[in-house]
Amino acid sequence: MLEITDLVKIYPGPVAALQGVSIEVPKGMFGLLGPNGAGKTTLMRIVAGLLEPTSGTVHFNGEDIVADPRLIRRQLGYLPQDFGFYPHLTGESMLRFLLVLKGVQAPGGLKHLAAELLDRVNLSYAAKRKVKGYSGGMRQRLGIAQALAGDPGLLIVDEPTAGLDPEERLRFYRLLAELAEDRTVLLSTHIVEDISVLCPRMAIISNGRFVADTTPSEARGRLAGTIFQGMVERERLAEIDRDFRVTQGILVEGRHRVRIHVPQGGAPPDGFDAAEPTLEDAYLLLAQTNGEGNGSGTSS
Amino acid sequence: MNPFTRPWEVARREFLYGVRRPAYWILLFLMGMLALGLSDGSVTIASGGGDAGRPFLTSVFGQSRVQCIMLISLGALFLAILSGLTVIRDIDLRVMEVFHSTRLTTREYVWGKFLGGVAVFALIWLLYLCGSIGFNHVLHGGEDHIGPFWLENYLFPTLLFGVPQILLFAGVPFLIGIWTRRPVLVFLFPMVALLLCFTVLTTWSPSWLSPEINRALMLIDPSGFRWLNETFLTVDRGVDFYNTSPLYPDLGFVLSRVAFAAAGLVAVAGAAASYERRLRAGGAEPRVLRLFRRRRAPAAAGPVPQASVRDLKMTTRPLGFWKASAAITRSEVRDLVTRPPMYFFVPLILLQVISEATLGYGYLGSRILLTPGTVAEQQSNTLNVLVCFLLLFYTVESLHKERTRRMHEIFNSAPVGTGAMLLGKTMGNAVMAGLILAAALVSSAGVLLYHQLFNDSPVGYDLFPFIAVWGGVLLPTFILWTAVITVLFSLLRNRFAVYAAGVAILVYAGYEQSQGTPTWLANWQGWNLVRWSDMGAFSLHGTPILLNRLFYLSMVPLLVALAVRWFPRRAFDATETLNRLHPKSLALATLRLLPFAIVPIALGSMLHTGARSGYQRSGVSGWRVDYWQENFAIWDGTEMPSVSHVDLDLEIEPPERSIAVTGAYTFFNHRDYAYDALPLTAGPWHPIEWMLAGESHEPENRSGLFVFTLEEPLAPGDTVTIGFSYELVRLEGMSRRPGGASQFILESGVVLNGFEPTFAPVPGYDPDIGSPYFEEPEPEDDFYEGETEPLIGWAGKPFTVRTRITMPEEYTANGVGQLVSDEVEDGRRTVVWETDHPVRMFNVIAGRYDAFEGDGTAIYHHPGHHYNVEEMSAALDAARKYYAEWFHPFPWSVLKLSEMPAFSGGAQGFPTNITFSEGMGFLTQRDPRAHLGFMVVAHEAAHQWWGNLLGPGRGPGGNVLSEGMSHYSTILLHEQVYGDRYRIEFARRIEAEYVRGRRVDRERAIVRSSGGFYNKGAWAMWMLQQEMGRENILAGLQAFIVKYRENPDHPVVQDMLPVLRDFAPDTAAFDALAEQWFFDVVMPEYEFSDVTKTREGDEWVVRGTVENVGTGRMRVEVGAVAGERWSDEGDDWSWSVVADGYRDARAVVELGAGEAADFVIRADFEPDRVVIDPDVLVMQQNRAAAVFALEG
Repeated sequence: MLEITDLVKIYPGPVAALQGVSIEVPKGMFGLLGPNGAGKTTLMRIVAGLLEPTSGTVHFNGEDIVADPRLIRRQLGYLPQDFGFYPHLTGESMLRFLLVLKGVQAPGGLKHLAAELLDRVNLSYAAKRKVKGYSGGMRQRLGIAQALAGDPGLLIVDEPTAGLDPEERLRFYRLLAELAEDRTVLLSTHIVEDISVLCPRMAIISNGRFVADTTPSEARGRLAGTIFQGMVERERLAEIDRDFRVTQGILVEGRHRVRIHVPQGGAPPDGFDAAEPTLEDAYLLLAQTNGEGNGSGTSS
Repeated sequence: MNPFTRPWEVARREFLYGVRRPAYWILLFLMGMLALGLSDGSVTIASGGGDAGRPFLTSVFGQSRVQCIMLISLGALFLAILSGLTVIRDIDLRVMEVFHSTRLTTREYVWGKFLGGVAVFALIWLLYLCGSIGFNHVLHGGEDHIGPFWLENYLFPTLLFGVPQILLFAGVPFLIGIWTRRPVLVFLFPMVALLLCFTVLTTWSPSWLSPEINRALMLIDPSGFRWLNETFLTVDRGVDFYNTSPLYPDLGFVLSRVAFAAAGLVAVAGAAASYERRLRAGGAEPRVLRLFRRRRAPAAAGPVPQASVRDLKMTTRPLGFWKASAAITRSEVRDLVTRPPMYFFVPLILLQVISEATLGYGYLGSRILLTPGTVAEQQSNTLNVLVCFLLLFYTVESLHKERTRRMHEIFNSAPVGTGAMLLGKTMGNAVMAGLILAAALVSSAGVLLYHQLFNDSPVGYDLFPFIAVWGGVLLPTFILWTAVITVLFSLLRNRFAVYAAGVAILVYAGYEQSQGTPTWLANWQGWNLVRWSDMGAFSLHGTPILLNRLFYLSMVPLLVALAVRWFPRRAFDATETLNRLHPKSLALATLRLLPFAIVPIALGSMLHTGARSGYQRSGVSGWRVDYWQENFAIWDGTEMPSVSHVDLDLEIEPPERSIAVTGAYTFFNHRDYAYDALPLTAGPWHPIEWMLAGESHEPENRSGLFVFTLEEPLAPGDTVTIGFSYELVRLEGMSRRPGGASQFILESGVVLNGFEPTFAPVPGYDPDIGSPYFEEPEPEDDFYEGETEPLIGWAGKPFTVRTRITMPEEYTANGVGQLVSDEVEDGRRTVVWETDHPVRMFNVIAGRYDAFEGDGTAIYHHPGHHYNVEEMSAALDAARKYYAEWFHPFPWSVLKLSEMPAFSGGAQGFPTNITFSEGMGFLTQRDPRAHLGFMVVAHEAAHQWWGNLLGPGRGPGGNVLSEGMSHYSTILLHEQVYGDRYRIEFARRIEAEYVRGRRVDRERAIVRSSGGFYNKGAWAMWMLQQEMGRENILAGLQAFIVKYRENPDHPVVQDMLPVLRDFAPDTAAFDALAEQWFFDVVMPEYEFSDVTKTREGDEWVVRGTVENVGTGRMRVEVGAVAGERWSDEGDDWSWSVVADGYRDARAVVELGAGEAADFVIRADFEPDRVVIDPDVLVMQQNRAAAVFALEG
């Protein structure tokens, strides 16, 4: 169980990246959704022991990891949003070095384990190649392999599917889901579909605050009967945008397909029909609600 | 758009970024401090010929010298940081693709970056010049070393020396940075340049260096200092010239400067091309660098696997401290050995080690016989500096590596302790340092082997000195330095700032070192910590060396604790950081660090207390101040009666450094008035039991001056005996700083003498003790009239000495005089030495010696130092025989020479008991062109006559009678024993030594200075001999010695010249020559012009003009010469042999300053060259140039 309490992080500027967030993250996959600059990466870096918060506490399985970040490193698998490797090492050597540092052990020895892990992320064919020759997707997969290594009690993955092709993305989801059965996996992304597919629970963070702590189905359920969809001419867009909260607007064959939120009891405009709410609708509405009137934020 | 808009913008951004970087503020600070120091005279810049203390710092010559050295020593490294790393930084920041998606071309980008970086340095340099001008002409204007303000004196050196250096040292690292993209390699060029400049290019100038090589070195010296030094600063042009004359560079030098500037600009153009090529190649490395990589065929992606992660059954057990460190160390080492810089720097360092060991030379261009100990000591400082620089670069890059590769978040989140992480990285770099030391060790063995095989060196290899000096001194420095860099990195968190801080620390340490070796407490780098002696290297400073090393090693855990605390593994929060700065938090943090500080504090206190309570403690020197203050006004100038006899009984315990002294001085009143009181100076030895005329006595103690009030005045012709008894420790505890000692009692040897109250009282008051004045007041011109105080030794007439010495059996103890008994009892040896003729001073030397007997002579030496003993013994025999014939019969029965540990340098010619430091003579490498071992013995043996039989007076013209006359005697002995070839070689060497070492603008005439004038004094006497004739001058010298031998009036050279004049066949010529060389400063310098060679009948006729472009008027021979003069065939190094084909014909010219004369030489052979002064009879400034090769 990961418990975050009143976490505040203020960067020099000052920029309030986290404004007193509190949340309890149980075992299993937990999704963290939020727009760019919402504070997701800041939160994850604090949890990973890489960034000191301004105030607040983070406990993992009852241990205060802000006071002593060494406690979390022992049980952490971490895939940062932006990372690299020693370019002069081969993928296999790089992974083995990290396995050694993490103190990972396996029945067949580390060489065998490294090979197996590379196999799991479909990098066996490039195991003997220098990392500097890897493509962005290959590097991301090597990063995933090192994050999965060991038996981490807490797995933090920040934008893990960036740069992966659909096939690799699915493979990663599968591995992640498998691991999430008996441990906490914190998945940060702004790809709503990832959360929708993987996470039984999720939170939405916006401008350094949690605006929702829920499940995907609950988030969708709350919007039942309030989402409408219709095709409109360009001239009407401004009017609709003024009168309703638009969750989607796509140009299709010269006309705009628009999804709007109409509060309970309200009437949709002409030409709009009721639609099934999606998690994206919920996320956008929640993020917009909190973002109004608050311009602070930071890069995540 | 203006084509310069984009590069201008790049340059402007670079400039604005640069001026905000801390590195340049540090540089500006350093340069400002140096400008201030130079201005107030507290900082001087050494040159080959002396120091930078020319009269005007502000002259174009003064500024040229300063700017040359300043730029090469500071500018080179900082320019490398400024320009070499700028593109690498952009690459690290990954802004390149964005830049080059705009209309900015690669050339615009590269030139803009370069110019921006150079502009930052130009601004700093401009500020430095403004500061210098302000300090010199406003703050210190009017002081004697500051001349009038001429702006061109500052700007011209910048143009001539500065601009080419700036372009070169900015351009080439810039190219290397772009080409390799490795910061470590960027520093390669300035490091190579610095090494070459400070070892070979700027000041390396042995007397045998040919003018052509010298000229070539001038042109390839990027600093330009060699050209300046050799062309102007070591040449006599008079003080006015240096203060007022403009500096005119010759064409060759100008072209060399242009070439350096062009090389810098070409490098930038090359950098632009390389950058463009690499950009087009998608960032691929240059081909050369790819050679270091192993290639593998690319593999294709396989089928998509579907296996589970759980199947792998992984578990995690965090590594322990040592295992984690070892894992990181392995990774670091693997990284280091696969990277090219290692293969550039290590050979470079080895090259440096080898070249220093093989190119180094000692006095008169002699090669030192290398022993493992001397090599270990000699290379210690060089290795120290080089490896420290290398560790700076490698450690910073190692610590920054993960951030550069964007791997820091993964790396830092690993369950490895920060301490283990840092230790692992540190150890990786330590392995590199260890590899360099190991390679240097192998190189040193190679150098020693080379000397064994090709130079007949008998020295074997011994690992101990290397382990002791490199392992014991250098390794702790490297460990400490790595820890310091790690702390700096943790604190500053910016690698460029760490580079700047690291370079600043090393530069400052170098500056401190140049101002004198730091104290034991402050000498973190371990520079000059060990003064090697094969007789017992650590017998003098063993304890402080150990404490110093332990002290700095014990700081490593503290530094590591700080580094672990500050290391940016988890980014600090600004608010929390402010909270940590709260006094309470700081106090708590300090408390937590206290355990780490306990050991360093304890060791530092021991070192500090030990140094303050040792033999250089303030109390010890304090008595000297009290002595001077209490007695100077009353007792200075008091004439003493003579001492007629000294009786000393010494019990010496080398392991305890102690001596028990019982003795008595018998005073004889040689004056015509009586004494009521007799003062004696004694050291701080407590308690001293005094006896007066056989009765116990309590003299008045005036802070070390013990005044004996006589019950009966000491009437003329009467005697009185003062006895004393005490114990003392000579070199009690430790010194304040590393260095030598002139007198000591150590296990390795005992060196004591009666000059100062170090172990025996000195009669009378000694005005030198505790005097706050460094220079004696200028005496009157006729100061030497009447009785003159002795230069060294005791006033009055010579005396007899009996010395009884008891020591452990294995020691041989020598005193003045002859050995009258030698007994061993219960492991103790007691020897008694008695003088068989009066002496003017006495000494005691002891050691574990082997003895080599000669003809009435003996050499006592360390058993391992037998290499030159035969040659030295021959010199001692010859000196005793011939000096006795030439100057005065040798009055004592034996002449001894004993070796002393290298802690005491030089040699001293005490009567019958000469002492030599082990580096002199004993460790001189044999040189087929010269007898250098012979030379040093011949010189020191001559002091038996010039110093002992004849005791020179104190004051100007005194010391030359000791040192100059001994060198003159050496010329004569060379001629006598080995013939003209070796006399000429010796004379040329001492002439070159004099020319190189002159401080032309400050040089005083011999009669105006108390200097030794070893070389000039010898030459002046040699020229006087040519004028007077050999027999006449020797007769004159004999008369001179007889006149003053037992005279309480001690003569100076002004006393000698009238005596010699009486023996001169042409007194007018004698006076003219003496006036020039003793009473004035002159130096002829001859040049040929219009020299032709024609055949006229059976003759060859050489015509030409010789001009004296120097000063002085001398008659000099011009020789037309064919063939080499000396033959190696038949010369078994024992006598000069003239070569068969050698012929010469001569003419004589007499030239005053600026005069020219035509000459005609007719020869019955075809000459191939003309030579001024072929027999080396007249001293001249530039002998190497006084030769003209005849064509055809």
